[in-house]
Amino acid sequence: MSVIEVKCLTKDYGHGRGIFNVSIQVGKGEVYGFLGPNGAGKTTTIRHIMGFQQALQGSTTVLGQDCWKASADIQKDVGYLPGEITLPEGLTGREFIKMMADLRGMKDLSYAKYLIEKFQLEPSGKLKRMSLGMKRKLAIVTAFMHDPQVLVLDEPTSGLDPMMQQVFIDFIKEEKRKGKTILLSSHLFGEIDETCDKISIIKDGHLISTVVAADLKNNENKVYKLEFIEALDYESFIRDISSTQVMEIMHHKEELLQVKVAVNDADINKFIGLVADYNVKFCSEVKFTLEDYFMQFYDRNIEHKKRGS
Amino acid sequence: MSYININNLTKDYGKGRGNFDVNLTIEKGEVFGFAGINGAGKTTLIRQLMGFLKPSSGYATINHLNCWEHSAEIKKLIGYIPGEIAFPDAPTGTEFLRRQAELVGLTDMSYAEALIKKLQLDPTANLKRMSKGMKQKTAIVAAMMHDPNILIFDEPTTGLDPLMRVAFIDIMKDEIKKGKTIFMSSHMWDEMEAVCNRVALIKDGKIVAVQSVKEVKHNKNKVYHICFRSEVDYERFQAESLVFGEKFNDELKLAIHIKDKDVRDLFKIMKNYDVKSFVEFKLSLEENFKKMYD
Repeated sequence: MSVIEVKCLTKDYGHGRGIFNVSIQVGKGEVYGFLGPNGAGKTTTIRHIMGFQQALQGSTTVLGQDCWKASADIQKDVGYLPGEITLPEGLTGREFIKMMADLRGMKDLSYAKYLIEKFQLEPSGKLKRMSLGMKRKLAIVTAFMHDPQVLVLDEPTSGLDPMMQQVFIDFIKEEKRKGKTILLSSHLFGEIDETCDKISIIKDGHLISTVVAADLKNNENKVYKLEFIEALDYESFIRDISSTQVMEIMHHKEELLQVKVAVNDADINKFIGLVADYNVKFCSEVKFTLEDYFMQFYDRNIEHKKRGS
Repeated sequence: MSYININNLTKDYGKGRGNFDVNLTIEKGEVFGFAGINGAGKTTLIRQLMGFLKPSSGYATINHLNCWEHSAEIKKLIGYIPGEIAFPDAPTGTEFLRRQAELVGLTDMSYAEALIKKLQLDPTANLKRMSKGMKQKTAIVAAMMHDPNILIFDEPTTGLDPLMRVAFIDIMKDEIKKGKTIFMSSHMWDEMEAVCNRVALIKDGKIVAVQSVKEVKHNKNKVYHICFRSEVDYERFQAESLVFGEKFNDELKLAIHIKDKDVRDLFKIMKNYDVKSFVEFKLSLEENFKKMYD
């Protein structure tokens, strides 16, 4: 059974804004990444999961409970880190932690203490005077101090410095090992790459692709770049590749005598056999990254995009 | 000819914070990046270059002008994006950009408009109510609209989403083609790999390493991972006269270290085996630094 289930969710704000027919299933112990630029609908989806917004069409459930009807329970139980945080300014960090613990009926604050140390939060100061990074750390501690089974994170590392981002990524991995179910939205390919089992790409409110992270990493379609020493070799190699009909020249630069060849792992021996007959200057692999994958779905020509962020 | 010259530059804030004995020379037309965690001294270094801070000892020059003594003149040469943006009071982005143009004596706003279009910025919005990303875009336009020769950027892509990061990198590439000298701090390694000629790592206020991006990217010493279909081939291959690295028994995978000039020999050997996959194992700039200094 899915722990987080979004079914055909639509929230139409008009003018093509909102989310349309979005479906997501996050299984127990899974880390699910939600990738898209600003304004694509990540936060709107997450706000429905947290029960802050009622679904216009479709439904969202967490652990089988309807997110809108059971919003009080969900907001109490789920570890939620919003993208933009607003904290009551008059309190100190410590008072805020205490207040959140009381709201949840928590008595044991030992896990909160552990998180304070881990994220190097200095909770004694007034919230008004805290830097953005410190406020983010405070939000992290209060979101997770009750050791929730389900975590919903909206751009969790924005505002953290690179070292703290790494601490956070390590924390997610630790939670994953404990069997937590995690939904995570982000801009940062590295962070998604390192933590997620499944990744969905959202564009203009529509889920346009979902991929299993391991498939992306173990992609069987490779691209190799070769450079030749002699022009004759370069020309003959291009002919040889074309005649195989299973490999393809993706790109070639005559002035550098370079070619890029697409080869499926099934044909790798054929490729090796071919290359062995030539005098190559180097052979390197052109890696396919999560960013490349993402960019396939987004027009690189930004003039075509409807609106900015 | 060195365009930016940093000489034994030290700014000691006490308790080991600041910059210590930093030496760098940056050529005209060079794109120089530097990386380091918060508190490592990136912003302190940039602020001394901008003439906002007086060094404790040592000096920095830009175009032979001392950055502290000639800060007013230097600022005219530079387009600067600060790490933390604090805009002066202005009702809208447009009004802010107009005032900034006035300050630098700019009347032709056509380049500003081109940048606004590329970044999809709506500058008519209230400056205070702008999102982090929009503020960052406004700062980028303000820094570059007068087409300065030197660009100094402190974490220029914070707050930008992936599409806008790509747009910004494209803008940088155009500037590089125009021969601009760029000095930037960033913690996004892929962004530095995409634009920089050299990258320095700063730690506890000191430069601990400088790497040529090209050398890292076009390393002539390659590592390949070769995976075999049968155990027989996997065992037999290990008797070949090659330099082996790590062995992954469960996957029947071997790491081979080889120089580019010998790569043909590798292919000739591989030809006699049933290979399942052939992958290059690459170190990124980040991994290179990690390998050197962890």
